[in-house]
Parts: sequence; C-alpha cells; structure tokens
Amino acid sequence: MFWRMLQGALVRQRRRMFMMALTIALGVSLTTAMLNVMLDVGDKVNRELKTYGANIMVTPRAASVVKDLYGVEAAGGGNQYLQEADVGKIKTIFWAHNIVTFAPSLAAEAVTPDGQPVTVVGTWFEHYLPLPTGETAVTGIKALKPWWQVEGNWVDDADGQAAMVGSLLAGKLGLRPGDTLAVRLGDGRQPGRFRVAGLFDSGGAEDMQVFIPLKTVQQALHLEGKVGKVEVSALTTPENELARRAAQNPQNLSVAEWETWYCTAYVSAIAYQIEEVVGGARAKPVRQVAESEGAILQKIQLLMLLITVLSLAGSALGISNLLTASIMERSKEIGLLKALGATDGAVALLVLAETLAAGTAGGIAGYFAGLGFAQIIGWSVFGAAVAAKGMVIPLVMVLVALVTLAGSLPAMRMLLVLRPAEVLHGR
Amino acid sequence: MTKYSLYGKMVLYALLRRRSRMVVALLAVAIGATVLSGLVTLYYDVPRQMGREFRSYGANLLLLPDGDNQVMPEQAVQLAAGSLPQGKVIGMAPYLYDRVLINSQPIMAAGTDFAAVKKVSPYWQITGQWPAPGSGGAVVGAEVAELLRLKPGQTVTITVPGAEQEKKLPVAGIVHTGGSEEDFIFVELPLLQQWLGKPGLVSVAQVSVQAGEGELTAWMQQTAGTGGGITPRLVKQLTQSEGLVLGKLQALVYLVTLIVLLLTLICVATTMMAVVTERRKEIGLKKALGAENRSIVLEFLGEGMVLGGLGGLLGTGCGFYFAQVVSLQVFARPISFQPLIALAAFGAAVAVAGLACLIPVRMATGVEPATVLRGE
Amino acid sequence: MNILELQGITMDYGTVKALDDVRMTVKQGEWLAIMGPSGSGKTTLLNIIGCMDKPSGGAVILDGVDLSTLSSKGLTAIRREKIGLVFQQFHLIPYLTALENVMVAQYYHSMPDEEEALAALARVGLKDRARHLPSQLSGGEQQRVCIARALINYPALILADEPTGNLDEANQNLVLEIFQTLHREGHTIVTVTHDPEVAARAERCIVLGHGRIAGEQRMCKPAPEGRPADNKEEQCQCG
Repeated sequence: MFWRMLQGALVRQRRRMFMMALTIALGVSLTTAMLNVMLDVGDKVNRELKTYGANIMVTPRAASVVKDLYGVEAAGGGNQYLQEADVGKIKTIFWAHNIVTFAPSLAAEAVTPDGQPVTVVGTWFEHYLPLPTGETAVTGIKALKPWWQVEGNWVDDADGQAAMVGSLLAGKLGLRPGDTLAVRLGDGRQPGRFRVAGLFDSGGAEDMQVFIPLKTVQQALHLEGKVGKVEVSALTTPENELARRAAQNPQNLSVAEWETWYCTAYVSAIAYQIEEVVGGARAKPVRQVAESEGAILQKIQLLMLLITVLSLAGSALGISNLLTASIMERSKEIGLLKALGATDGAVALLVLAETLAAGTAGGIAGYFAGLGFAQIIGWSVFGAAVAAKGMVIPLVMVLVALVTLAGSLPAMRMLLVLRPAEVLHGR
Repeated sequence: MTKYSLYGKMVLYALLRRRSRMVVALLAVAIGATVLSGLVTLYYDVPRQMGREFRSYGANLLLLPDGDNQVMPEQAVQLAAGSLPQGKVIGMAPYLYDRVLINSQPIMAAGTDFAAVKKVSPYWQITGQWPAPGSGGAVVGAEVAELLRLKPGQTVTITVPGAEQEKKLPVAGIVHTGGSEEDFIFVELPLLQQWLGKPGLVSVAQVSVQAGEGELTAWMQQTAGTGGGITPRLVKQLTQSEGLVLGKLQALVYLVTLIVLLLTLICVATTMMAVVTERRKEIGLKKALGAENRSIVLEFLGEGMVLGGLGGLLGTGCGFYFAQVVSLQVFARPISFQPLIALAAFGAAVAVAGLACLIPVRMATGVEPATVLRGE
Repeated sequence: MNILELQGITMDYGTVKALDDVRMTVKQGEWLAIMGPSGSGKTTLLNIIGCMDKPSGGAVILDGVDLSTLSSKGLTAIRREKIGLVFQQFHLIPYLTALENVMVAQYYHSMPDEEEALAALARVGLKDRARHLPSQLSGGEQQRVCIARALINYPALILADEPTGNLDEANQNLVLEIFQTLHREGHTIVTVTHDPEVAARAERCIVLGHGRIAGEQRMCKPAPEGRPADNKEEQCQCG
C-alpha cells in the first residue's frame, strides 16, 4: 500500500512533483557547475598566466656569472653550455605534465656590415619534440612568448636562412618583413644573409635582438649540440612556508617534508627536478613570474570558493524552502492520513520517499544541466572544456541528500505535531 | 474607514498572520537579493581588486632618457609621474646604473630608493633584511654574493672608477629574483649619485601603475613631446598579459554571476509560486464574493511587493556583507558601498517577487470559483 | 414578483447531463429549499444560480437580468451586487478577523464600513467575537460570520449550500433560526440541502433527481422519524 500511495502521489500530483524536481534540479545544476568550475579554475587561470612567460630559467652551472645586457664582460669561468640532447629530458621529470612548454636558446654577438653590434639569438620557434614516452611535445618561443606582436610570419625552424627581428632594431636598421639582413656571426668572414620573415614587438630587451633558428647559430659558433640556456614555462602550485624553506636548501628538510615538497608542483620542486635530469644545469625560478602567479592563483581560487559557497548556500536554502512550502501545502492530506490512523513514522516515511524520488530525478537532470553550464563557462571564457571531475558526483549526491533531508525537517516537524481534526475542519 | 486602509490591512495581515508561509517566501526573496547584490558587487569590484594583485608582477611602465642620453634629471621624472592618474600609481623606483669595482671585479651598481623598490617589485626575496633608510646599507644580488662570497652583515668594499677611493658599505641583504637583478649590487640613490658626481640624475625609473594597456597608451600619447627629456615605454609583456588575464577573469565572474542569478531567480520564483498556489481557494472565495480579477491581482501584487521590499532590503544588506567578507578574505581590502547596485538589487527583488506572485494568481483567477470551492 | 427564473436549464459535462431542462421560479421574499441525493445536480444548480458557472443551455433571469447575455466580468458584478453566498465549508479568509472577513465583502462591493459590519455581526450574535480569527471560532460561529458576510451588501438573493452540513445540532438550530429571521424580514433565500429537517424550515421544497426536477411541495412538514417517504414522484422527500 505504501508503494501504491507513493506511486499515486508521484504520478497524479505530477505538477507538484515536477516543481520539486525542478527546484532540486536547479540547485544541483548550480552546485555541479560551480564545483566543476571551481575545481578547474586553478588549472585554467594558471594556463592563462603562462602569457607572462617562463617561470624557470635553466642555465649551465658554471656559467652563472655576471653577464647581462649592460655589457659587463664575463667575470670568470669558461664558456660552458648545456647539451641540446638533454633539453628534451625536461619533459621526463616527475612533474612532466606541468611543463607547459620550453625553448632553448644560444646567443651570439654579431656585427652588421656597417659595424653595428647586434645580439643574435638562436632558438626553437615551433619545434615538435618526440618524447621517450612516444608522445610529441610542442616547444619553442611561439608557445613560450604568446605576448609577442608579430608583423609578418614566424620563422620555420627548418629554414636556416630566416630571421625575426625585434621592432626597435628593425626601426634602427630600417628593416621590413621580406627584406634581407646581413650580419657577421662568430668568426665567419662572410656575413650571413638572412631573410626577415617577421618583426616582433615584445616590449622587452628582445626588441633589440635578432632571432634565428638554433642550428644556424650552433654551426656559426662551432657549438653543435650546445645551448646557452633554456626557458621553461611550468604550471605550479602557489608557494607556502615549506616551499620557501626548501628553496633555501632542500637538504635541510626532514624526509617526510622532502617527500611532500618533491611531490608537490612547487616551482622550486620543479626547478630541482630539472636540475636532476639536465646535466650540469642550474634551474632558477624567475621570482617575478613565479611569486605573482602564486598570489593571483590563490586569490582567484579563494574567490571562486567563496562564490561557490554562496551559491551552494543559496541553492540549499532554495531547495529546503520549496520543500517546506510544498509540504505545508499538503497539510490537509497528511491530516487525513493521520485521522485514518497513520503513525507519525509512516507519514514521515511517505513524505520523505516522495521527496527523495523527486530529488533523485531532479538531481540527475540537474547534474547534466550543470555540466552543460560548466562547459558554457569553460568554452566562452577559456576556450577549453572544463574537466568533469568525478569527485563532484558523490559530493553533489551527499549535498542533495543532506539539503533535502534538512529542508524537509522543519516542515516534517510541523506535520507531525499537526492535529488531524484541526486541519480537516479548516481551523 | 477608507478603501485603501482595508486594502493595506488585508495585505499586512496576509503576511503577518500566515507567518510560517511568509517566512518561507521572505527567505526565498532574501536569498535571491543576497546572491544578486553580493555577486554584482563582486563583479564590479573584482577587476579593480585583481588589477592591484597583478601589480605584484612589478613595473609596467618604464621612464627612460630621451634619445641617446644615458641619464635624466630626477625632477623631470617626478613631473612625468605626477601627470599619471593620481591614486593609481602603486610606486615609482628610480635607478641610477654604473659600473663599480669590488675586489677588482667589475660589477654593475644600481642606486635606488629601497622603500619604492619594495612597492614596485614585491617579488624580491631578501635573505637578511632591507637596509634601514639612510643607513647606507647595500643589497647584493645573489649571483654577485655567490661570486664574492658575501653574506648579510659583512662589509663590502666598493671602488668607483675615476674616484680612486674605497667605500665600505654594510651588506644588509641578498636578493633572489631569478632575473638580472641578481647580477647587481644595490645601494642608496643619493650615495651613488654623490660618488659618481651625478647629483639629481637617474638612468631609468620603474613605475607600477594600476591601469590597463589602453589607459597607459592614452597617457603616453597625451604626454608625448612634453616629457622634458623623458620617453615612457610600456613593459608590453606585463600590460598585455594583464589585459588578457583580467579580461578572462571578468568574463568568468560575469558568466558565473549570470548563471547563479538565473538559477536563483528561478528558485525564488518557484518558491513564491508554491506559496501562492496554495491559496487558490482563497482566490476562488474572493471571486465568489464578487471581487474583480483586478482587485485580487492587486492584493497579491501588494503582498509580493511588500515581501520583495523586505526581502530585498534584507538581501541587499546580506549581499553587501558577503561581498565585503569575500573582499576582505581574498584581497584584504574593503569594498566601497555601491548605492546603484544596492538600488538595482532591491528593485530586482521587488520586481521578481511581484512577478512570481502574478503568474500563479493570474492562473488562479482564470479558474471558475465553483471549481476551486467545490467539495474538499 | 419573480426574483429568479430558470428557463430550461441544461448542463453537460461531456456526455454526462448534470442538469436536464430544469424550470423553476423563486418569488421575492420566498424561502426555497432544493433537495436531492448526492449527484442529483444540486450543487451544479446552485453554482449556476450563484453566477459561478454558466449553463450549457437555457436561460437564468435574476432580478430582471438575463445572465446568459453577460460576460464573466458582468457575472462577477452580479455576484457582487445581488447575491449573498453561504458555504458548507464556511470559506473564511484565515488571516483576517471575523469583522475583517465581513468587511472584505463590503470592500469588493463598494466601501468598507466598520460600524455596519459590526452591526451585521451583532445580528448573528457575534458582536463579542468580531476581533477573533476564524481559527479561534467554533464551526457554528464561523458559519454565522459567513451569514453576516452574505447579508452585508443587502443581496437580492441569499444562496446557501448545505449551510448546516458541518454543524452540530445546537449550532444547526442557531443558524436555521437566523435564516428564519431573515426570511421573516423579507429576504429571498435559496438553500441546497439533503437534510429533511433543514428543508422543512423552508417555505417550498424542490427535489432534484438525476438532473431533473423530481418533485415539488409547499410547506413540507417534518414527518415522524423512521417512516420512509413512499411516493417519491409526487411527494416531497422532506417527509
């Protein structure tokens, strides 16, 4: 009989059940969408922040000497280089998945025919690097420096005679895309002739430089298979106290702390792991990028968390509110059931079963609607799908069950203290 | 007794004497208004607040000497910085560069204002401490420190080329940035100016401005030619990336706000509808007593508006409080009260509550009273 | 003078005929009882007279106005001006006091007048209970508020649907006495009931069966209990 009553209520009070299911579906879709977006927003924003460029700089250990754009000569140590063959190993570290991209470079001083010194940088532009795992990684400065405004085209790595010229230098030399640039590289007697494929505006020191494929510079300097430095862009976890202590000296950590640090995507841990695989390398976090990234990521995650909490609280209250309203509406029917001798338990069970049935239907519909909302947000904001996290499902289920139960409680209590005579006589 | 006072009584008592139901409806409206005012306030405030966060990336504007000049007067720099929108300049750090000798090794020295550096480049990691103002302490780049085996607390002896005279400075701290700063030694600006005989001159000024690329470009065009020997340049990597990321963030908050609002409003409407639908019998009775549809609609509309007003007031307050909590938690800064948003949220709450009442009432007034009143 | 005239009223609900060619008149100042078993069409007929439903066929002329020519808005106006309704379920607005419930009828009619409403409550003996909510009143008291509400606009016709159906004997007598007083004062009353005792108080009784008028009798007298009516076709079932 319980089932027949339940069935009757569900089928014949379709409108009310629909209303209940609809509200629960709305709440669930909101919860699902917000949870999915919140769990994924860190990753998405982190990728966006990659526009700030490399956050780890890999240089030869011995070359860590004073040498900068102001032209101070090397103050010690021989010219040491990294092996180009080692560069790919960066993609094999523990946190390989967090390495977004990287680009090796080898700089050389060159002179134009009229005696002006220029810095020529050999690099990968868009290099498809086969990995030991069988996959292919897209590397090179096109991916690493997305903020470059390019007039003309990017250079093809296979075209050894193509060059990209910084906007300030191009202005000084009067170069346009398609022109020819002659510079004397290394000890070559004949100036090398390069076709200017494109100009770029980086807003930084690169605007005074010329970029050409790595191979060409290596040949000119007789440094085959060598690179000067590697810039790495990695997804990192905001730094905390542990990471800061590790950055000072990883050896000072206890074993457990070291494990935690090593297995967390702190920028210092990733830099440490790069040093492990690349021979003779020194990997340094670029503080300006790494620190700011951490700060901004943390803020955004906290912001989304709080917004999620608000919308969760909102939908929880909304659901429990509607449940209260719709149960109160039925006081007469419940009064009748009690008058017919139904125990409080039986009445509560019936109401709960109906609510749960409506909740399940609404919950399933709402979950998929919520996934849809999350995808709308993902595609329109980040141009990429928001990963549907599996952990959201049990989370939503528990939340809905709790909210539905909690929402029916006040109404249920009201129904149980209800005296049938009062209800039926409309007092 | 006038007609209006009974109308008022009916509306009032419908709310007061049906307390539990009305609390439900009021709560629904208040939730809606809270979400509305809270999220919209955040939506307006987030870009502003985030813009400040992005300033942790450091200077986004450089002031350089005109043409081939190596230095520029400090006054001109101050003047140029003064013409930037006031209140948006986070900090301006002047730098004077020249080569000095330490242990006979050529090292780049930079004279600067440490208080300003702390504001402009918050990412500097200092081992040891920042030099106290006027103490003459130096900050040494990590690479230089390693090369010269310097530690905080030690003394560094600097020889300025030309003036063959040794200066001794205490090392206050070592700076790690992962960038070119690690190759410098930083001293106080007046000290270096004096040594080099370049009083009142600087090589470059880094400015951190809380403004987007467009705003800065507009400022540069406006001040072009009037720079007094100064060329401003944008740090494109920062300004462009900031614009990009901020744009995405704003779009994110916008969409989230939109979806949350939409769902919340539907939620509010269904609750209101459930509460009103319950009163079909009352509507039937009023019709049987000869009430015109218009009067019934007016009564419910009145109730809806009162509910909407109360809930809106409550919710707008809660929403602002929520936004305030979020802002303090996330950005550690309070937000300003936006009367326009509060007004809009209040208006929306009244409108939604009224509308949500109207739909079921219209449906109920369409029904013949006999059908509603019969039996039961 | 006829207050109400029904000319061949029929009412179809799909294939079911709830009313079939019902003809009757009610005179000014008359008290008419309509009787019949469940499903005989009593309530349908009352709804039609009370302007809460429109017949499928035939004409209703109330106080000289042909209801079939009116729009639903016009019917509402008639209901407001000419009819006072008393329900079996009382149907009071739960969040308004007895006094306010009466005043609501005035409000929809013209202008609320507290003194007049109080006077109406005094007439049904509820002067002391005017400030109570319906939930604080007994069933009989609620029904008396209902009657006061029905009276307040001086209707041409008072329609009562099982007015004592939910009341105990004492309250039933109280309510019927009020109706008797009203009748004596010249009010026109139509009561629908299945209770012979109630019908017996009326001046005239019409019996409905299967949607038709099955019998009519003037001045029914209550019969000794236990004796069934033997001629349903001819005699009022009040007997």
